[in-house]
Formats: sequence, structure tokens, C-alpha cells
Amino acid sequence: VRAKGALIFGSSAAGKLASMATAPRERRYPRIPFWRRLRRIVALATAACLLAAALSYVPTMAEKHNVGFGVTSVEWLRQNGGNPIASEIENWYYELNAPGKGGPALTSLPKVGVAAAEGGEEAERKRVYRPPRVKPILHPALPDEGIWKPAGAHAGRRPPVLETSFRSDPEYPQFVAGVAWIDHNRTRLEYTPGTAEPPEPLAHRGAGEVPPDLRKRLVATFNGGFPLETSNAGLIYRGQVIAAMVNGIATIVAYRDGRVNVVRWHQGEGAPRNVWFAKQNLPPIIYEGKLNPNLTDGPEWGETVNNATRVWRSGLGIDAHGNLIYAAANYQTVESLALILKRAGAVRALELDINEDWTSFIGYRHPGGGEPSNLLPEMFRSPERYLVPDERDFFAVYLRGGQRW
Amino acid sequence: VRLPSRVSPAAERRRAWLFDLAVALAVAAVAILLAAGIGVVGFLALLVAIALVLWYGVEALVRMLSRRRRAGQERRRAAAPAELRPARDARGAPPGPTTRSGSGESRRRRL
Repeated sequence: VRAKGALIFGSSAAGKLASMATAPRERRYPRIPFWRRLRRIVALATAACLLAAALSYVPTMAEKHNVGFGVTSVEWLRQNGGNPIASEIENWYYELNAPGKGGPALTSLPKVGVAAAEGGEEAERKRVYRPPRVKPILHPALPDEGIWKPAGAHAGRRPPVLETSFRSDPEYPQFVAGVAWIDHNRTRLEYTPGTAEPPEPLAHRGAGEVPPDLRKRLVATFNGGFPLETSNAGLIYRGQVIAAMVNGIATIVAYRDGRVNVVRWHQGEGAPRNVWFAKQNLPPIIYEGKLNPNLTDGPEWGETVNNATRVWRSGLGIDAHGNLIYAAANYQTVESLALILKRAGAVRALELDINEDWTSFIGYRHPGGGEPSNLLPEMFRSPERYLVPDERDFFAVYLRGGQRW
Repeated sequence: VRLPSRVSPAAERRRAWLFDLAVALAVAAVAILLAAGIGVVGFLALLVAIALVLWYGVEALVRMLSRRRRAGQERRRAAAPAELRPARDARGAPPGPTTRSGSGESRRRRL
């Protein structure tokens, strides 16, 4: 009985002896060492995990994308629970590639906008508001530094969008910030969903581009902020709540009467009746003329790279007259971005997208989306970005009804 | 129901393989269930896969180099004049590391 038991389980020494006695044929192959079997189990488990991941990854990658393979892969990782991993890797990457202070001074700024504003500026300023020149930080100032220029050609005496650039940081004299000012009296802001963002089902998603029938009034487009998944914030689109609004979060609000504002949201999760759309993104970086005192890292700033990491950043503010101010620059921290917006005149502001792949401000030189031009030449994405379907949501600025180009 | 105890070595190998596969699938299922998302599972699995490929690769490389060295020794021995060849042992096997470690003759001796 003992020998039989040993044959079945093959474990005791007596059993081995018995089996050797009863089995004349010796074992031809030794048992596989334990560590080899463990390695085999790990290899098989890894293959199973990779196969399961491939069932999600391959269809995602097979879809049409506007960005490269690497960026799409990172986005897939972010959307499938890997946000902390992706952010941590990005932090390492940007810290390793952090810019050095100082360096040779610039002799000129990139060309921004078109020719100087037409008409008698002084006389015009008495009747319509025009933003004052952004005072240069570094001296001597470079030609055209901080001077507003129309984004569109033949924009008349009241251009709906003005653009300028200036050196934003004395410690980094080669950094150039691009800023755009949008006249709220002449324009209307619209939120446009992308083909993939927001991911929630929408009744009016559209094609993820500026609708062709609206292009004759199109003057500018810009990036729409973090994806909902990473901003931990809400969205109202066409008066409907797409993602529950969060109190205390900075919000771009457009009302049904055409007004826009940048506010700290305090109206609960639902959609107030007079709100046409509202997009939230992180806490305000400027509020009532003052920088947010807590611009250092914390969970309230979303699952993204550290606030102190220098990277492409963009933001949107509003000046004391209710006009929108957009700013973007490479190698910015959240604080330096806030300082750029404040210097340009913003009294309330929020951060929008970061990273070169998502930061875009495009001005259109001619009606119909003609001759699109990035705010800064360094901007990575094509100026045609929002004239073709794009995955991410964005804002489009149109001339109001009755306003002529 | 008991599994047959006296099986061929090939059947034993297959049985071990199936057991390992079942354990591996269970481990993968637990990992997928516990992870924050399939992206995390895929990313970590990719890192482990790279490590395993390196491990298997290095092992295969070492095995190949040692096989080449042995083959070189055999060739040199065969090319040497008969009087310079080392004497064979009682069973007629040449001295030195002429058999693969862990295979054939040495395995039989261990068992």
C-alpha cells in the first residue's frame, strides 16, 4: 500500500525506492527544476496578460488618429487605468530634459499676427476698448514685443482677435510666450467636441472639426483642456450635463445670451438654465486678480505632470472688460503660466492643456478658415488641426451675427 | 478519479505543462481583476516580457557558446596524433567535459 501511495504522489523516499524496485525502466528525463517551472508560469501569465491587453490596444490603434503612435499609446494607457504610470514617466522625462537657465539673448521674436492694427489707434481707443501693450519684462525690449497685432488680415479697426508675444521669464531669456486677446463684443465662443473626447455619448457630437457652414465666421480656435478622465471635473454641453459639475473648479462658461466668463463654479452638479456650455479644468490659477496661493502640487491639480515641471502649457483667462485672453508657451510651470496671463491682463484664469501635442491656438487670416496660422511657430500641431476631424475637444471663436470680417 | 501514475516521460512533461498553464491563467485573471485597468496590466506585462526575453536570450547565448567551445575541443582532440590523445577510461569514454552537462551520460550517472 505504501509503495502504491508513493507511486501516486511520488514524494517519499520510501516510495521512490519502491518505485525503483518495481519499475525496471529508469527515468530518461530529469524533472524540470522548480525555478524553470516558475519562470514558465510567469512567461505564460505574461503572455495571457499581453493578449488581454492587445484585445483593447490593437482596435484602439487601428482607429484613425491625428497624433503619432507613441502619443496614442500613452493616451490608451491613460484611458485604461495607467494615468499615474504615464504621469510618472512624463515627470522623469521632463526632469531629465529640463532647460538650463540663462543662455544667449534673443535678437528677435517670432512673427505673430499680421500687420499692425489699422486706423487711428488713439482716436479709436477712445470709442472701443483695446488692450494695452503687454509691458516687456526684459530690457531692452525687442521689436514688437508685447504689441498687439490682428490675427486676421483686413480685420479693420476693431480686429476680433489680437496676438502678441513677449519674453516671459528673466531667468530664461529665450522663452517666448504667445498671447491672444479675443474681443467679446464681436465674437461668440463655442465648445466643439472631438471625435473621442469627451468619451460620453453626445446627442450633437459633430465631426470633431469646425462645421463647414460656420467657417465663414471663424476667426480662431484653441485647445479645449484636459480630458474629463484626468481633470476630475465636469462638462455641460448644449445645456445638458455630460459630466457632473464640481464646485470650486475653474470653469469656462458660455451663457445662452452669448456672454462668456471664467468663474470658480459654485452652482452644484447640474446645469443652470442660462448656461449653454461649461467646461471645467482644475482649480483657478488666477482669481480676482491674484495668483492662486496654492499653485504647488496636490491632488486637486489632476492626474498629470507636476505643476513645477517645465513643459508646454496653455491657459485661458478673462480681463476686467470681459474679453478672453489665451496664453501658451513652452517650458512653463503652472505658476509661470499664471504670471504670463496676469501680465497680459487676466483677472481670472484657468489652465488648459499641457504638452506640445495638445497645445494649439490657431488664428485664421481670411474668412472661411483661410490661411490658418499657429500663435507661435513652435507650436507642434498643424494649423489645419481643427479644420479636419480631431480627437480632442476644442473651442472655436466665431464673429457674432451682424459683425463683418 | 486519479491520474495514471505510471506515464511516459513525454506524458509527464505534458501534464506539467498543462498544470503550469492553468496556474498562469489563474495568475493572469487575478492580475486583470485587481489592476486599475487593462492598460496597467499590459504595461507591466510588457516590462516582464522584456525581462523574460532577455533572460531566455542570455541563457540561449551561454548554451550556444558552451556548445561551440565543446565542439572546438572535440575537433582539436580528433586532429591530434593518436599517441598524443589522452587515454580513455574503462568504459571507453574520453576524459574531460565531453558530454553535455545535465544530459545523456551524466544524467544517467546522477540517477
